[in-house]
Amino acid sequence: MVITLVLIAGLAGAGMYVMKLRSDNAILKANQHKLETAITEQNKVLEQQKQDFTAILESNKKLNVLINTFKKDLQDLDKRFTKKNRDIGKLAIDRTEAIERIINKGGKNAARCIELASGAEHTPEELKATLKSEINPECPALANPNFVEYQ
Amino acid sequence: MNKILAIAIMILLTGCSIGGEKRIKIFSVEEPRQKLDYPMPTALQLEELKWIIITSENAQEVFKKLEEAGIDPVLFGLTDKDYQVLARNFAQIRQKLQETNNLLEEYKKYYEPKEMK
Repeated sequence: MVITLVLIAGLAGAGMYVMKLRSDNAILKANQHKLETAITEQNKVLEQQKQDFTAILESNKKLNVLINTFKKDLQDLDKRFTKKNRDIGKLAIDRTEAIERIINKGGKNAARCIELASGAEHTPEELKATLKSEINPECPALANPNFVEYQ
Repeated sequence: MNKILAIAIMILLTGCSIGGEKRIKIFSVEEPRQKLDYPMPTALQLEELKWIIITSENAQEVFKKLEEAGIDPVLFGLTDKDYQVLARNFAQIRQKLQETNNLLEEYKKYYEPKEMK
């Protein structure tokens, strides 16, 4: 009787132990799977971060180039008024009609620059312009993207 | 006999806990924010204006021409120095506009890339 009980208890214990082992095994497998998934997710996040950093750097670079272009445009504008001790007032007295034409052309060009800066589409002529005589001198970098200034 | 019965009942009752309760799994699905998706601002279309240069010598002639053309013989003037200032101010306004538009485009490109649309 006692032996039977011990046997039953032993079998029950062994059964429970096996079941516990199987349960532990299942948990470990699930953990392994979770860890692998987590690593993949982390890799994806790292890759995304890398792409974001590259995009931010590129964007900063573009904006810096733009700011430098602005500085140059303003310097060029000043130069046009003061190059070789030029006095636009005196020139206007001496050559009134010619300067009036130049001023009106400059005003038209400047207005076109504002339109482009606000998002207007380039005309085919503006895109094609590669010579100094064809460009909009008020904002060549903006108006004529294919123009490369020669030194 | 009673002892066996008692043990059997005990095993029967505790047996239910061997398999355990099913665990509730809670999934969290990230729902992306709706895109603002504003169109870019409409480009400006500026009207053309005409500059008239007036000197002490051509003043009479300029006013006469204005009267002949049916335009009020009055001009709003700038000195040559102020004209330069105006040109510079306009250049700065244009640059600010360009910078703002560029920033907007860059933000849009970064937060709303094309493949997301």
